[in-house]
Amino acid sequence: MIKSLQKRALLILVVVATCIYSLYPNFTEPTEGDSKKRIKYGLDIKGGLHIVMGVDINGVVDQASKRLASTLEQYFKDEKVGVSSVDLTKDEDLDLPFFSVNLSGAGELEKAEKVISDYYSNVLQVVSTDDSKIELKYLDSYLELTKTRTLEQAIETIRNRVDEFGVAEPSITAQGSDRILIQLPGLKDVSQAKALINKAAFLEFQLVEQQIPPELPTWIDEAEKAGEYTLEKLDSYSKYVAQLNNDLAAKLPKNTKLVFGKLDNAATLKAGKIPYLVSDNASLNGDDLKNASVAYDEFGSPEVNLSFNPVGAKKFADITGENVNRQLAVILDGVVYSAPNIQTRIGGGNARITLGRGADYQKTLDEAKVLSMALRAGALPAQLEQLEERTVGPTLGKDSIEAGKNAILLGGLLVLLFMLFYYKGFGVIANLALVLNILFIFGMLTALDATLTLPGLAGIALTIGMAVDANVIIFERIKEELARGQNYRKAVEDGFGHAFSAIFDANITTGVVCVILMYFGTGPVRGFAVTLLCGLVTSMFTSIFVSRTVCDFLFVKLQWKKLAI
Amino acid sequence: MKDNKTTNFDFIGSAKLFVGISVALVVISIGLLVSKGLNYGIDFAGGTEIQVRFGETVNTNQVREAVAGMGFSKAQVQSFAEGNEFVVRLPSAEGKSEKEINQQNNATIKKAREGLSTQFTGAEIRRVDSVGPQIGSELKKNGILAVLYALLLILIYVGLRFDYEFAPGAVVCLFHDAIITLGIFSLLGKEVNVQTLAAILTIIGYSLNDTIVNYDRIRENITNKISKSLKEVINVSINETLSRTIWTSLTTMLAVIALYFVGKGVIADFAFTLGIGVIVGTYSSIYVASPIVLALSKKKA
Repeated sequence: MIKSLQKRALLILVVVATCIYSLYPNFTEPTEGDSKKRIKYGLDIKGGLHIVMGVDINGVVDQASKRLASTLEQYFKDEKVGVSSVDLTKDEDLDLPFFSVNLSGAGELEKAEKVISDYYSNVLQVVSTDDSKIELKYLDSYLELTKTRTLEQAIETIRNRVDEFGVAEPSITAQGSDRILIQLPGLKDVSQAKALINKAAFLEFQLVEQQIPPELPTWIDEAEKAGEYTLEKLDSYSKYVAQLNNDLAAKLPKNTKLVFGKLDNAATLKAGKIPYLVSDNASLNGDDLKNASVAYDEFGSPEVNLSFNPVGAKKFADITGENVNRQLAVILDGVVYSAPNIQTRIGGGNARITLGRGADYQKTLDEAKVLSMALRAGALPAQLEQLEERTVGPTLGKDSIEAGKNAILLGGLLVLLFMLFYYKGFGVIANLALVLNILFIFGMLTALDATLTLPGLAGIALTIGMAVDANVIIFERIKEELARGQNYRKAVEDGFGHAFSAIFDANITTGVVCVILMYFGTGPVRGFAVTLLCGLVTSMFTSIFVSRTVCDFLFVKLQWKKLAI
Repeated sequence: MKDNKTTNFDFIGSAKLFVGISVALVVISIGLLVSKGLNYGIDFAGGTEIQVRFGETVNTNQVREAVAGMGFSKAQVQSFAEGNEFVVRLPSAEGKSEKEINQQNNATIKKAREGLSTQFTGAEIRRVDSVGPQIGSELKKNGILAVLYALLLILIYVGLRFDYEFAPGAVVCLFHDAIITLGIFSLLGKEVNVQTLAAILTIIGYSLNDTIVNYDRIRENITNKISKSLKEVINVSINETLSRTIWTSLTTMLAVIALYFVGKGVIADFAFTLGIGVIVGTYSSIYVASPIVLALSKKKA
């Protein structure tokens, strides 16, 4: 314990000031670009939707493996290797796919191995070989990468959908290796949100009209004015586009539809969009695409490589052959991601989209990543499965926080009164500590960016009840010392001294429970553990340090001889 | 200054009686848990729960009939708080695979939502909780692990801080509190969900507070050699800490009572569990924890 009273008082003042400073933004209205920390409320208070979606990652791996098996067969054929078939087997125990390459003759082994090492050295590894077949499996690193990519891509797809609602702070995060937790605070239309989240991504390739009517922007303006809607107002891209296409159906050229892409430097569609007029026949779509990835051209610029399955390759060759020098738009869920120019007929099913060199490397790379993710989301849409849903309506949340506040106030008041009546003068000291404690808890919660949940509110109320525990232990001890005939100054010193170990031990064990709850608990329960733990820390400080300082000030500095207890 | 005479109850003398009572309560609780079991909420059992408020006057039977009419014959309907507000509990759907159950659950939410909104006027869906089989079993597993780890860590901590003859008493106490609290839940048929488990763990921590304060005093009095007989030391120690034990339990109860009566729904349920725990915990640290210390040290001697 710091000896000097002044230093102790200064420390307390600094802590109080810090807490007030950290709490202050909670009493101001948030403004644009204001990043000050405020207390965050959990979904159970704010209201909104909480959904846990399972992502069928193994399903995607299975699908990709099937495609790989057929591609391998094709490769061997192209390279004139004598392979009768490539079979896919699945080890159910290990949940791993294996590929067996059945060779037509003993002399083919070497040739087949060369094809594998030339084209698939970063995808597959050889498990065993004999004269008649080669056993292959995925490289662990590749399989891991595929899995994380699938999850990321599912998250990205959901994020794009969610952006449609204009929810203030959507949170879409991976939970474990195959789950996505979606939290949409303050959401009103839950059913619609769920329907959109559950829908599989739809990817299409559409030719961009060569002649865009120059009046197009005017038409859009007129339609918006006539129907009194804008993208901002409708807050849903799909609704907006459907409405526009409906209104302009008579004016747009036959068999075309209007879609939008994000402006290069805009963060969202709302911030800036460019219209595209594309054909509306769905001849080439996600089903035709096998995979897409970011690659680098000979100058090291990022680009996107795509490969089509045999059916898609044929369609793609036809489309590109017939439409050289036209733009082909990549459209995911109705949004144009890119509209590259067709330079030549592309046969063989492999294409690349260059993104323009020279400019900002990082920007080009980001663009390539977004585009390849959109392409993959359409090519290999992961099946989603809803595992958990929790919805809280806005009125319930409001009621709950009202009830919680009242409970804290009432509980606090009862405890304050009790301490005052039972411990009189010392009760005032304990009450001062208690009030500071509440200030510190909220200050700490804000500073730590913790989320306040309903059980969290209960945790604060409970802390209020338990926080005076330390003071009770100390005061009871002081009473005992006084009963032995000690003077106040000595009794206070011994009271605090002897009580410390009990208080410390007791708080540690409750702290242990909090940490366990934080580790094993979900959302609301974790909120409870966090507030209770904050409460333990702050109450140790207030009931031991603060009240000791006040006692020392009274009995040492002011030389008080007694105080009602 | 107020007169502060320390009480002088013979706790150890009456220990046999209270140990008997405790053993009986624990046995009854275990009996209830085995025969009647716990009423698991949807967090653990899976299923769907919908809290709905209507704009018109509706009674429980009407809601029950309406829900049964939608094809949910196993639904439970409970009126909630005051007037026209109900909680409809729909048991987990049946299906061959987990995937199918999840799909069914999801369909259930939609059907019940729409059904309630169309059959009554001014229906406001205030809350929906739906838990599928995977999440349910995971929550259960995590809950059990959390309790076990808590007990283990507490055992280690008490063992390190005090002599080893103290630790078993503390942990037996905690089992005692947790089992009796669960027994009361079984008896009343109250729903057990994730929050209940959190509350029980909190009680474990809280009850330990009292036990530790007692132990701390026993340890101090042993050091000060106030008496040769451990029995006497324990008795004096419990008496010395008695007023503190009772007053702190009282202040905590004040907060819990405020939560119970002012808070609604989740908070009130939480407070209910805490309240039971505070009472059982206070009792056990006086009558259960210390006699075990005595019994263990006698054996050693």
